[in-house]
Amino acid sequence: MTLAPQQVTSRSWPVRVRDVTVRYPGGVTALDGVTLDIEAGEMVSVVGLSGSGKSTLIRTINGLVPVTSGEVTVGEHTLGRLSGRQARAVRGSIGMIFQSFNLARRTTVLNNVLVGRLAHTPTWRTLLGAYTAADKQLAFEALDSVGILDKTWQRASNLSGGQQQRVAIARALTQQPRIVLADEPVASLDPPSAHAVMGDLRRINTELGITVLTNLHLLDLAREYGTRMIGLRAGKVVYDGPAATASDAVFEEIYGRSIRQQDVLGG
Amino acid sequence: MKTTQTPRPGAAGGVPAAGGAQAAGGTRAAGDGTAGRPPLAVPPRPAGRWKPWAALAVVLLLTAATLSPWAIGFDADAIARNWRNGADRIVRLFSPDWSFFPRTVEPMLETLQMAVVATVVGAAVALPVSMWAARPTNPDRWTRGAVRLALNVVRAVPELLYAAVLVAMVGVGALPGVIALVLFNVGIIVKMVSETIDGSDRGPLEAGRAAGATQTQINRTIALPDMLPSFVNQTLYVLELNVRASSVLGLVGAGGLGLLVDAVRTYYRYDQLSLIILEILVAVLVIDLVSSIVRRRLV
Repeated sequence: MTLAPQQVTSRSWPVRVRDVTVRYPGGVTALDGVTLDIEAGEMVSVVGLSGSGKSTLIRTINGLVPVTSGEVTVGEHTLGRLSGRQARAVRGSIGMIFQSFNLARRTTVLNNVLVGRLAHTPTWRTLLGAYTAADKQLAFEALDSVGILDKTWQRASNLSGGQQQRVAIARALTQQPRIVLADEPVASLDPPSAHAVMGDLRRINTELGITVLTNLHLLDLAREYGTRMIGLRAGKVVYDGPAATASDAVFEEIYGRSIRQQDVLGG
Repeated sequence: MKTTQTPRPGAAGGVPAAGGAQAAGGTRAAGDGTAGRPPLAVPPRPAGRWKPWAALAVVLLLTAATLSPWAIGFDADAIARNWRNGADRIVRLFSPDWSFFPRTVEPMLETLQMAVVATVVGAAVALPVSMWAARPTNPDRWTRGAVRLALNVVRAVPELLYAAVLVAMVGVGALPGVIALVLFNVGIIVKMVSETIDGSDRGPLEAGRAAGATQTQINRTIALPDMLPSFVNQTLYVLELNVRASSVLGLVGAGGLGLLVDAVRTYYRYDQLSLIILEILVAVLVIDLVSSIVRRRLV
């Protein structure tokens, strides 16, 4: 289960978030003047309760959520200034993993993984479903690296939750990403699957050197799998420091209340 | 998104410590332990519960007004008289003229051909249009609004009216019938399928967007597989409708069984009409059977 050399990106990207505020049309302020510098190749956990703004933060980094004010720069690209085509190209270099896997449930695992090549595929090829051999090879290698190559031809909905999340990771890897974003990737999984998926994310970071940002709300996972931890509360950064040594007091500060049993995954 | 994991006050995790003090006085399960508690703060029942009743009253009033002799001259007497008139014809309807069968074969085949061709063309047109008419697959509200408006217009006109107008434009025959049916089919399929797309989970589409795909690519690779069962279902349903509809379109000269229906009806040959109706019934039943088999394999 090692990652193939073809998947090693030449260079991963840093992320610069400058005084970013996001206000949704309903008037809710999801992010309030956030400034962050994430170096290329860092493994960052973003921790906070639901509603703290961590989903919004991760979506501003690939431009799915536009910023109300401030600036987000990934690699050389400042997101707000891109044309539609450029924005898609940048997103094509940023893999994203979701809490609910977000696979096309009625089609094969392979077709889902090939979605990771769409940014590099002309429309006519997509319409015909005619992916190149090189793209398919990338997809097979990605599936192999997360250990589910044998599921290639299965329908996505026939897989277990943990397997579906690995398909999603393979989809992100097939993009040959420079950054991987994960939004609560294990919140719908049982503890063993959760550790397996977190382990895959860590390998993406350590073996391929890709910048990885993971949203989590479980403090033991944040400590174990992140090297750096960012705590969000009510849209503001309230902690930014090493993950492993973050004390319970730090989490109580982030959560704004005492630690409870459900803040820990265990297992 | 994270609701399942969000700690709720009073949820399993936090309760035991807090509940300890009250446990001595008796838990809820003990039943009569409630005596010493302050009354529960039940929120007031929301207003507006009379609305469904008012709606029902309005419907009943409208019906009564419609039936009254002053409104449209509803005349129960005349209906009873006509019923007696029609009784002997109904008897003849139950004794089909089997010797008429050979003359129905060709029009029946034409009807089936019209139904199949119209279904195929209509479905092919409706597939992309359904996606343009649904919000998750077409975020641009102006083109979406335009497509929806056009389809509302298409749906507002009954297929028989299309056929009548088209016969005047392209002449008598199967062609105006087929065009009328295609319009009818596109209206139905797009309406039903786009509503299915509107109600579907948008997460997979967001994943496509996050991977840098264009909307067209997302629709083809992610939306299409998920909408396919609904699309096939509606197409099969429309095929069934077409067999029925195309047997009527001939009344205005648009080909198929309808021409024959018109002829035998003019000569009061209810025994022959009855055979035609039987044949349509059989055709619809067969299509229904086939489509239910296809449907079962699909899901």
